[in-house]
Amino acid sequence: MAALLLPATLLVLGLLVAPMAMLFRISLNQYDAALMMREALSAENYLRALADPYYREVLGTTLGVAFSCTLLALLIGFPAAYWLARMESRWKSLATILTLFPLLVGNVVRAAGWMALLGRDGAINAGLFGLGLVAEPWPMLYTTGAVIVGILAVVAPYMILTLAAVIESIPRGVEEAAANLGAGPMTAFRRVVLPLALPGVAAGCVLVFILCMNAYATPVLLGGPQFKMMAPAVYDQFVRGTNWPFGAALAFLLLIVTLVLTIIGSTILAGRSRSR
Amino acid sequence: MGTLTLDGLCRRYATTTAVERVDLEVAEGEFVALLGPSGCGKTTTLRMVAGFVAPSSGRILIAGRDVTHAPPHGRDTGMVFQSYALFPHMTVGENVAFGLEMRKVARAERDARVREVLRLARLDGLGDRLPRQLSGGQQQRVALARALVVNPAVFLLDEPLSNLDAKLRAEVRIEIRALQQRLGLTTLFVTHDQEEALTMADRLVVMERGRVRQIGTAEALYERPADAFVAGFIGRCNLLRGTPEAPGQFRTASGALLPCLPQPARPGDILALRPERIALRAAGDGLPARLAAVTYLGAQTEYHLDLAGTRLVAVAPTPAEGDARRGLAPGDAVLAHWDPAEARLLPAEPGDLLDDQA
Repeated sequence: MAALLLPATLLVLGLLVAPMAMLFRISLNQYDAALMMREALSAENYLRALADPYYREVLGTTLGVAFSCTLLALLIGFPAAYWLARMESRWKSLATILTLFPLLVGNVVRAAGWMALLGRDGAINAGLFGLGLVAEPWPMLYTTGAVIVGILAVVAPYMILTLAAVIESIPRGVEEAAANLGAGPMTAFRRVVLPLALPGVAAGCVLVFILCMNAYATPVLLGGPQFKMMAPAVYDQFVRGTNWPFGAALAFLLLIVTLVLTIIGSTILAGRSRSR
Repeated sequence: MGTLTLDGLCRRYATTTAVERVDLEVAEGEFVALLGPSGCGKTTTLRMVAGFVAPSSGRILIAGRDVTHAPPHGRDTGMVFQSYALFPHMTVGENVAFGLEMRKVARAERDARVREVLRLARLDGLGDRLPRQLSGGQQQRVALARALVVNPAVFLLDEPLSNLDAKLRAEVRIEIRALQQRLGLTTLFVTHDQEEALTMADRLVVMERGRVRQIGTAEALYERPADAFVAGFIGRCNLLRGTPEAPGQFRTASGALLPCLPQPARPGDILALRPERIALRAAGDGLPARLAAVTYLGAQTEYHLDLAGTRLVAVAPTPAEGDARRGLAPGDAVLAHWDPAEARLLPAEPGDLLDDQA
C-alpha cells in the first residue's frame, strides 16, 4: 500500500521540498550588487524585513486583506453552502458547476473584468453618472475595497464547496429533531448545524486564508501601483530589485506567518468542535 | 397530553398523491399505529403531524388547537426518528436536556427531570457519554428519553424499532408499550411491521397508496377486514377470485364450489378464508382435496391443498407424534372443512391480491 504513495512523495520532494530548501538557503545569503549574491549564513535579511516599516505595513495590509476576505467568504459562503447542500432537485449538479464557474476564468482575465467594471470610466461609474447620482467618478478601482472584492470572488467557490461537503454530511434528521424539540431556525442553526459544521468552517477558512495571503494578480491589477501585498513584494525583489536573498527572506516570512496563523486558527476551531 | 385529530388531511405532489383524505381521531392516551406497505403514505402523514411536510389540504388539531400551519417547533410533539437523529456533538444528558432548555425550564428542574427520564429509560450513569459511544439499543432509548422528557402533547414514533435486531426489537416493543401506558401518552406510531402494530397499538390504521383502508382494533381488522387488501395484509389469508352463485356458495375461477357466509355480493368480490380456520379431516363433512405440499414449521404445520384446481393453504398446530395426521404427505387425499361463516366475500380493488392464488 505504501508504494501507492511513491509517485506523490517523489513529486512533493522534487517539486516542493527541494526548491523550498534552496530558497531557504538563498534567504541566508548576502546581496551583492555585482555578483547578485554572496554565500553567507546570516539572518540579516529577515531582520531587515522585520525592522523596515514599509515591509511591516505590507505584511499588515496582507493580513488585513486575508482576514477580511476569509471572514466575508465565510459569511457569504455559509448560507450559499447550506442551500447547495440541502438542495434536492436535479438542478443540484448544475448549481455545483455554477459555483465553480468563476474558477474557469483565470485571475488576470477576471481582474481585467473588474477593472472594466470598477474603473474611472468603468460600467458602474458610467451608470452612476448617467443617472446623475455622482458628478465626479467615484474612485473604486485601486482601493483596498476593490482588492477585497476581487479576491473574494476567487476564494468564495472554495469556501462554498468545502462547507457544502461538510453540511451535506449533517443528517437532516438532527435539524428536524432540534425543531421538534422546540428550537426555532436560528437556535437550531446555532446549537446544532454550526457546531457540526465547524470542521468544514475550519477547513474552508484555512484554505481561503492561505489563498488570500498569497494572492498576486488581483492585488497587482486591482490595487494599483501604491497598493502592496506580500506576494507582489516578493516578486518585486526577485525580478525588479534582483535581490534574491531578501526576496527569499520575504517569501519565508510570508510562509511562516501564514503557517503559524493557520495552525493557531484550526487548533482553536478543532478545540471548539470537540468541547461542544 | 392531548388528543390528535386529522381532518381530511391530503398531501399531493406534482404527479402523485402521497396522502389522500385521512380522517383520524386519536383519543387522549391512545396508541394508534399507522400500518401499511412502503409508499402507502404513513410516514408522510406522521411528518405532516410533526410539521415537516405541509399538508395540501385538511387540518391537524393537537389538544384541540389547530396546528396545520404552525412551524414544527411550535407544535409540542415529541418525535422518535427512525435514525434516532441524536445530536452527535452533545452528550446523552445534553441531548435529553435540549427540549427542556428550549422550553426555558430552570436549571435545577431540568437536571432533575433529565435524571428521572434517564432512570426511566434505564440509562442511568450514561449521561456523560456521547451517542457514538452507545449501542444501538441504548441510542434508541436516548431518542425515546429525549422525546418523552418534554411531556409532549403527542408522541410520534417513526419506525423506531427498524434498526434493532430481532431479539431487542421484541423487548423494546414491550418497553415502549409499558411506558406509553404508564405515562398515558397519546401516540401515533408508524410501522410496516404488522406484528409490531398488532402487539403494541390500541387501534390500527391500515393505509395503502395514500388512503386509509380500515381503522380498528387488531381483532376487528383480523376478524372483520373491510376489504381484500386488509385481509391479506393483516395476517395470512386465502384470497380467491370467482363468482358468488346461490347464497352461501362461491364458484372459484378454477371451478370449485366453496361454502361461504350467505351475504349480499357485489361483482368482483373476493372470497377470504384464514388458513387456520380450515380443518383437515379423514372422514365426515368437508370438500375432497389433495395435499400438494406439507411444510413443517415446528409449532405449526402448513398444508397446501388442491381442491379440483383451486389452491388453498391451511395451517394447524403440528399434531402430536403418533397422531395419524402427523403422517400426512403430498398426494394424500383429505377432507377440508370450515364453518361457512369464516369464508367472507370482500370487495377488492385492482392490485389488492398480493399473492394471487385463484
